Amino acid sequence: MSGNLYTRKMGEEYNTIFRQCVSLNTELHKLVPLAKQMHLLSSNAVSSAARAGSEGDAFRVLTQDIQLLGDEVSECIGDTQKVIGDIVRLASNLAKLFASYMIYQDLQERLEGEETVTTVTFFEGGHHNVVEELRANNHKLSRSLAVLENLLSPIATVVKKGEYLAVCSSVEAASAGQHGVSFEAVSSMLRKLVGQLGLQSARQRSLLRDLSDAMEKQQHNQGKLLYAR
Amino acid sequence: MRVEQLYKKNTHSWMVMGRDAERRDEVIDTNHYLIQNNGRGLLLDPGGVENFSVVAAEFSKHFELANVEAIFASHQDPDVISSLPLWIQANPDLIVYMPKIWVSFITHFGVKMENIRPIPDEGGIITLGGHDLEVVPAHYLHSSGNLSVYDPQSKIFFSGDVGAALLPDDHTDLFVTDFDSHTQYMEYFHRRWMPSNTAKARWIAEVRKRDVEMLCPQHGAIFKGEDVARFLSWFENLDLGSAWSSVR
Repeated sequence: MSGNLYTRKMGEEYNTIFRQCVSLNTELHKLVPLAKQMHLLSSNAVSSAARAGSEGDAFRVLTQDIQLLGDEVSECIGDTQKVIGDIVRLASNLAKLFASYMIYQDLQERLEGEETVTTVTFFEGGHHNVVEELRANNHKLSRSLAVLENLLSPIATVVKKGEYLAVCSSVEAASAGQHGVSFEAVSSMLRKLVGQLGLQSARQRSLLRDLSDAMEKQQHNQGKLLYAR
Repeated sequence: MRVEQLYKKNTHSWMVMGRDAERRDEVIDTNHYLIQNNGRGLLLDPGGVENFSVVAAEFSKHFELANVEAIFASHQDPDVISSLPLWIQANPDLIVYMPKIWVSFITHFGVKMENIRPIPDEGGIITLGGHDLEVVPAHYLHSSGNLSVYDPQSKIFFSGDVGAALLPDDHTDLFVTDFDSHTQYMEYFHRRWMPSNTAKARWIAEVRKRDVEMLCPQHGAIFKGEDVARFLSWFENLDLGSAWSSVR
């Protein structure tokens, strides 16, 4: 493949990566209201357990578990928000640096065969600095994506835990008869929320997988274009 | 792109570059100036990202750009200074003089504070290879923080956007050849982009204090000799901030 084709391909890949990072950012932001709803659910669980009076001992234990689950979800979501901010910034830097790389390449082409007073090494230094920054940003982005993957992986476990808790809550609510009506609403809300969390985390994992694939492809081409020179 | 030497005496010189025939239609044509003194260089309004490679390649033919120690930005506009990160990537020690009020805006281009030398509202002096250049306030002409540069040796006054003209593509002269005809290309620009008649009067008074042989704008043609005074009189009588009355 010629240099120009690699260049074009890389430009497209940087744009793709940036777009994918923005999509992932949007998806991850959808988790924030879920975390809030989990907290609201915890409060509902507390009042439902209180309403059940002396019949609500099992509900109180379940309420504690729901609160712990809510904390776990919040912590996980909070951490992902921090990392995704860095990811979008790095992807945007990469696209910007690649534009600089293209401009230096254009300059080098203009200078080819020309008699210049300026020594060739002057702009080669600039070109080199851009390449180094590209490489450093690439590494940082790969690392941040790996961190994000690690942060997202416990969500599957949280979802399983939530589903289990929802089943337990339903069973306890049914066996408590009239006293359990209010807690049944909590259980059904919990089922709904973990269902949403499961769906969203699956979508995010799929986006992250696409992003990692795009990064791998881009790094392969980058290796050929930037370092083969 | 045309490159011409405006002045040369011993180790002191001025060079201009303009009329980029290759530029995209929607990109405004810009003039770029390189002052050299004792082997050191200062670039005035080096231009946008869009024409960095053209400007760098052309000036490379005439000067060792590694010896450009500083860049002067008359104001914050992208056609003036958005190429800055590329120049700094080539020379990380480059100094950038700019109006103080624009520092926190121009840093959005990714420039670090260690490269920046803010110039206060009242102007100051830039020393290049032992030679002093005067920085003259040109605020509100057009930008609210705007500076001009006067070189007492060459008697060249770099006026930034003042004196700018939006010339047709077939107008390739670097100098004004027929002042009366030239005003048609300047009038709208000054009335639309420049808001303050008070600022205009103060700037004109500053220019008249100096012995100016050439008035060099960032767009359009250069005024030489008697055309400098002609321009000042024409500008003096122009009502700035008045080209939008039809949309009121």
